[in-house]
Amino acid sequence: MRSIYKFVLVAVAGVMAFAHHSGAGFSNDTSEISGVVKEFQFKNPHSWIQVMVTDASGKAVEWSVEWGSPNQLAREGFRPSTFPAGAKVTMKVHPMVSGAPVAGFIGAKMADGTTVGKWNGD
Amino acid sequence: MFRTATSFRLAVGFLILIGPCLSFGQTTPASFDKLPDWSGLWSMMGGTVFDTASQTGKGGVLTHGVREHPPYTAAYEKIYAEHLARRDEDRFPDVITNCGVPVGFPRIMNLPDTYEFVVRPDIFYIVTENGPNTMRVYTDGRKLPAKEDTWGTYTGVSVGHWEGDTLVWETVGLKGNRDNDSILDRTGVVLSDAARATTRMRKINENTLEANLVIEDSKALTKPWNVTKRFRKSAKPFQYMYDYGCAENQRNPVDTVTGKTLMLGADGKPLN
Repeated sequence: MRSIYKFVLVAVAGVMAFAHHSGAGFSNDTSEISGVVKEFQFKNPHSWIQVMVTDASGKAVEWSVEWGSPNQLAREGFRPSTFPAGAKVTMKVHPMVSGAPVAGFIGAKMADGTTVGKWNGD
Repeated sequence: MFRTATSFRLAVGFLILIGPCLSFGQTTPASFDKLPDWSGLWSMMGGTVFDTASQTGKGGVLTHGVREHPPYTAAYEKIYAEHLARRDEDRFPDVITNCGVPVGFPRIMNLPDTYEFVVRPDIFYIVTENGPNTMRVYTDGRKLPAKEDTWGTYTGVSVGHWEGDTLVWETVGLKGNRDNDSILDRTGVVLSDAARATTRMRKINENTLEANLVIEDSKALTKPWNVTKRFRKSAKPFQYMYDYGCAENQRNPVDTVTGKTLMLGADGKPLN
């Protein structure tokens, strides 16, 4: 299953950029964020993973991490339950150039070690 | 002599009767058993650059330096150059980003996500998940409407017929860029309201459909523009085509002042 996720993400990540809106300011850099899933918006035109991340000053910041459309994701086996609320997660993301707490999804590692998407860079 | 004259009159009468049937779109509808099987879910092959054959520059529609080369008139080349410049500044809004209007034709042949191509004797439907969008090609023997009966719409009016396993249709009544809300791709390719197209679509193998478009546009193009789009059938059985409610969770509206695409937080406030 993990390998399926990796394969799928290469395709889905590519599609995400043009399926609905233009580039909209994501950088090509990769950042890592860790936190707790607040909500997984498995809705069109794009899904969004809301993650509560504690920043360096100890303040809780809500990140919005954008992923593919639920239709594309569903055909590849993902479901609203892929990111349950309350789950601890570490994500690799393309952050916004502006520094806003918004990012494009690359991959994730759940507390049990399960990975979703392009976690190992392949 | 009488026989010859009668035969001549009959022949002329016959030609008068069938004459209109020989013009475009005037054929007897095919029966189900004579139609090809285009069932299943299909996806456009390649990215969303509309005309990859004329593309220069490597990358996708949003990559700086990537453009196509329609046989544009000077006026439309200027429009395209302006769109490309705005694309490079991330200020060329895609009308579908606002989840409102149909993508229209020919962009409906240039979408991500899945397609259904529904073949019936009297009509052919293109149904796209993205949007969603629908296009109808009437194959019931009707003629194209007169010019005064079309007024320029996103998808226009299409009438077609079958030539063996090839569906041939003509599209007229397109609005083009008249209202600045119809594009062919995100590089900014547009057509005018004088555009019309002839499309020939067929299966080139069991899993590939090919559509050859010949686009004519007396305002925008100096000669017919040939574009080929291909679609691959999903190999997975029992796939679903899902609902695509673009406005369901719209967090990327276009700022009408700057033309920039916004990112909204879960609370609806802009994040960029």
